[in-house]
Amino acid sequence: MAAQIAREWSGIQQFPVATQNKLHELLGKLKLENVSTLTILLMGKGGVGKSSTVNSILGERVATVNAFQSEGLRPMMCSRTRAGFTLNIIDTPGLVEGGYVNEQAIEIIKRFLLNKIIDVLLYVDRLDAYRVDSLDKQIIKAITDTFGKRIWQRSLVVLTHAQLSPPDGLNYDEFFNKRSETLLKCIRSGARINKQEFEDFPIHVALVENSGRCNTNADGEKILPGGTAWIPQLVEVITTVIANGSKPIMVDQKLIEGPNPNERGKFFIPLILAFQYFFIIKGIQRAIKRDIETESRPAWELRDMGLAEGRF
Amino acid sequence: MSFFAKNQLLGAQIKTAAVASSSPRRRRSPAPSDDRSLALKTSVWGACKKSLAVFSISAASFAAAGGGGFVLLASSPPPPVPPIDGGGCGGGGGWFGGSDGGGFWSNLLSPLAAHAKEDERPEWDSHGLPANIVVQLNKLSGLKRYKISDIFFFDKRRSTIVSGSEDSFFEMMTLRPGGVYTKAQLQKELENLASSGMFEKVDLEGKTKPDGTLAITMPFTESTWMSAESFRCINVGLLPQTKVMEMDADMTEKERLEFMRAQDREYKKRIDRSRPCLLSDDVKKEIVRMLNEKGKLSARTLQTIRDRVQKWYHDEGYACAQVVNFGNLNTRELVCEVVEGDITQLDVQFLDKLGNTTEGNTQLAVIRRELPTQLRPGHVFNMEAGKQVLRNMNSLGLFSNIELNPRPDEKNDGGIIVEVKLREMDQKSAEVSTEWSFVPGHNGWPTLASIQPGGTVSLDHRNIKGLNRSISCSMASGNLLNPQDDLSFKLDYAHPYLDGVTNPRNRTFRVSCFNSRKLSPVFTGGPGAEEVPPVWIDRMGMKANVTENFTQQSKFTYGLVMEEITTRDETSTVCTHGVRALPVGGLSIDGPPTTLSGTGTDRMAFAQANITRDKTRFLNGAIVGERDVFQLDQGLGIGSNFPFFNRHQLTLTRFVPLKQVEEGTGKSPPPVLVLHGHYGGCVGDLPSYDAFTLGGPYSVRGYNMGELGACRNILEVAAELRIPVRNTQVYFFAEHGNDLGSSKDVKGNPTEFFRRIGHGSSYGGGIKLGMVRAEYAVDHNSGTGAVFFRFGERF
Repeated sequence: MAAQIAREWSGIQQFPVATQNKLHELLGKLKLENVSTLTILLMGKGGVGKSSTVNSILGERVATVNAFQSEGLRPMMCSRTRAGFTLNIIDTPGLVEGGYVNEQAIEIIKRFLLNKIIDVLLYVDRLDAYRVDSLDKQIIKAITDTFGKRIWQRSLVVLTHAQLSPPDGLNYDEFFNKRSETLLKCIRSGARINKQEFEDFPIHVALVENSGRCNTNADGEKILPGGTAWIPQLVEVITTVIANGSKPIMVDQKLIEGPNPNERGKFFIPLILAFQYFFIIKGIQRAIKRDIETESRPAWELRDMGLAEGRF
Repeated sequence: MSFFAKNQLLGAQIKTAAVASSSPRRRRSPAPSDDRSLALKTSVWGACKKSLAVFSISAASFAAAGGGGFVLLASSPPPPVPPIDGGGCGGGGGWFGGSDGGGFWSNLLSPLAAHAKEDERPEWDSHGLPANIVVQLNKLSGLKRYKISDIFFFDKRRSTIVSGSEDSFFEMMTLRPGGVYTKAQLQKELENLASSGMFEKVDLEGKTKPDGTLAITMPFTESTWMSAESFRCINVGLLPQTKVMEMDADMTEKERLEFMRAQDREYKKRIDRSRPCLLSDDVKKEIVRMLNEKGKLSARTLQTIRDRVQKWYHDEGYACAQVVNFGNLNTRELVCEVVEGDITQLDVQFLDKLGNTTEGNTQLAVIRRELPTQLRPGHVFNMEAGKQVLRNMNSLGLFSNIELNPRPDEKNDGGIIVEVKLREMDQKSAEVSTEWSFVPGHNGWPTLASIQPGGTVSLDHRNIKGLNRSISCSMASGNLLNPQDDLSFKLDYAHPYLDGVTNPRNRTFRVSCFNSRKLSPVFTGGPGAEEVPPVWIDRMGMKANVTENFTQQSKFTYGLVMEEITTRDETSTVCTHGVRALPVGGLSIDGPPTTLSGTGTDRMAFAQANITRDKTRFLNGAIVGERDVFQLDQGLGIGSNFPFFNRHQLTLTRFVPLKQVEEGTGKSPPPVLVLHGHYGGCVGDLPSYDAFTLGGPYSVRGYNMGELGACRNILEVAAELRIPVRNTQVYFFAEHGNDLGSSKDVKGNPTEFFRRIGHGSSYGGGIKLGMVRAEYAVDHNSGTGAVFFRFGERF
């Protein structure tokens, strides 16, 4: 996959001019910061719109999207170059299978990502899912366990199906705030990010609407119910995340396999053994000795030893 | 006084002997001294026989409790005295020194005149006299057979009738209301009573009744002595017999006085020589109180005292103890002489199958270490020490029959010889057993081809060199046609007394070769998960270890283990990774590795140590106490992939009785709170088969084996409340098991791979039905409960 030759990003020309300008501007900014390659990893549950988002960002149908079927189990990377800038987007299969986190999928993703550098993780979920449950937390946990906690410094939450009418009694912004808040809370607890860390590297939330019925503004840009064009906004958020000072994630063998638990602490075994011998085994031995000394002997035995002196 | 006392002692002994041989006895007849031992023997037998009966029962129950197939016996030869009236046969000779030089002697409990019953016939003669007249004994007709309807004792001094048939007077009497007796018999009875030493004067008169029967009244004056203020108990066992000196009838008053003084001095010396007795101060105080209350010492008081003292001794297990004498009567201090049953000799005998004495194979030193010091010569014989011998001997596992007999020492007055009789088991034994099993074949029906012959061969060689060394080996297969499938073997060699048989240090060296096949609980699915293909762990290897026993229960074992572990799947082929069925239908084969080497076969050598501190005991059938176990496996870096690890487990269990209860058979056990904690951990290489598993009847009840996870560190806590209800007990428990987040530290994370949670709690209750526990446990993860039946105890 890595050997795949990056094609010219032709899809960018499909975008409305306003969007194109904005994108060029952002890419140029990145270039100024000596970033010439951007690798974006998309992860999330199945059917939330990861592949569609890839298609939307690139403006091409790179990933086959089927409304009723999950895509294949293989991750897919699309590389596009534009004016000396390379954009890699990695689409991954859904992480959920049969109500559980699919470790096999994670395993495949891990192997796929070997020796790649991830600049940004897009954690994709739907805006119109009302609830956050333990499964979400498990997914967050699985991602954290796989790539380390540090990946959340380089990630943003993407909520798809942004064009919705919120349930009764809530306006759109209120609903969006609530939804992103609960999701972020879930991420924080699942990845065990404490308050300080979260303040240092806040996780941004971006909205996406991939549907063809997405409203457009006068320039033909796809817009959100709030009126902002979402593609430039998404890319902008991505650039701010990149610029936040954290390091991109290098996926290597060590990261994939994790620290070998069998090796950990081996060095201390002699010390542990000595401690066990001198404190636990010797301690129990002393306790046994004490037991023997303080053993309550029957009266007849004491009398025999002449210890009773008529007391019983 | 004591001189007379001495004299009477002999008389009493003769009397006992006389009764034993049914010969007529004479009052105050001088006796040859060896009659004393004869008499003593009789009474010792009587006393011992009674308690030994109890003893053998407890021994039998002990054998049953031990689960061994041995019958323990504590038997005694038939007593020389045939029991009469089913009454007291635990006789003791008692005697009393008289007040004015004329002593009385008595044998208070010995049954008298055995022939009283022989003549009992339904026919009897009416007295033929008018009703309600008092007839003196000598006025009765010698030819008639009188029916006695009532018997009364009339205390002349107090002018009261002694009532209550339990009174010691009635115990002495052989006459029973409703019996038929001749005049001669009545006369004899009167003579007996008169000579018993209880009475100064006793008479017998009949009162005619309208229906032709006689009511007997016995007017009496009781023998009494000066009241004593203090009480002293001495052990006169093994004291040499004092010489009997007859008082010359024609001594002058002065000589007589001199003589009595000499006797007094002699008796003082005897008291000084005697050893203090074991009697507790409480009993002594009780007796002094009794003495103060009663004032004048009467024969009956002495009898009560004797009974009290003897009862204490027998209750405390001194089965051969008995009061033989009361001395120093008519002085301030009452001296109670007791023969406590000092052991003079300890005999160990081996019996062959026919019960003849043989030379045993077992070395005496082996047996000697098991005998408690309390049974050595110079100690007082106690039943509890005897029981301990039976227990210790039984735990040796060398004897099919163990008997312990206390026997009076003929050469040593008041001494006891303890005989231990042992019947050895066969040294060598071999056993072959075969079995057939049907394996469901096609369509689930057994066919001819599916019949499998199986069998077990076992060989035992016990007690090698008489030092309790043993070799045992056994081999079993469920299918002799293809024994390689499931052949299991075991070869053991045990070498006790590693530090020498006379060294008190008790270390045993053991070597064993073994193989085993177990289902791995690591490769088990979580709740609701589809069936996980099983992984079998085959172990084969050898072990050499040394066990040091500190007490019966506390011990320290350390040694080396070398083993080969092979992991196999259902089809018995070696497997390298756990497998999980995918929802799609396929199998995911990239599960956790089963072995360290990754090849499905590991070889390793490691050191193993286990120290157990067990202070538990049974309190009326409930376990109370503490138990701590620490187990350590230390890898040595020898084997596939050079495994180096430290795997440790600490288990602490406390059994806290929640109520103070009195100990004793038949008493109810206390409610017990059991607290249990188990920590396990491993640093270094941890193959899946050595990972700790959570869940199961011995981990967290209410879950299946390994249903909660497999981890590197484990913590289990449990509490159980056991409440005795009638003959059984009900219990309630709550348990929790946690992987402490260490599941991910097991290679391949089997906990997560098989979708397990890694922790869980449960609670529930149950009832014990014999050996089986029926319990209802609620699994806290899913909130559902289920009923389980389990054998044995959780803790």
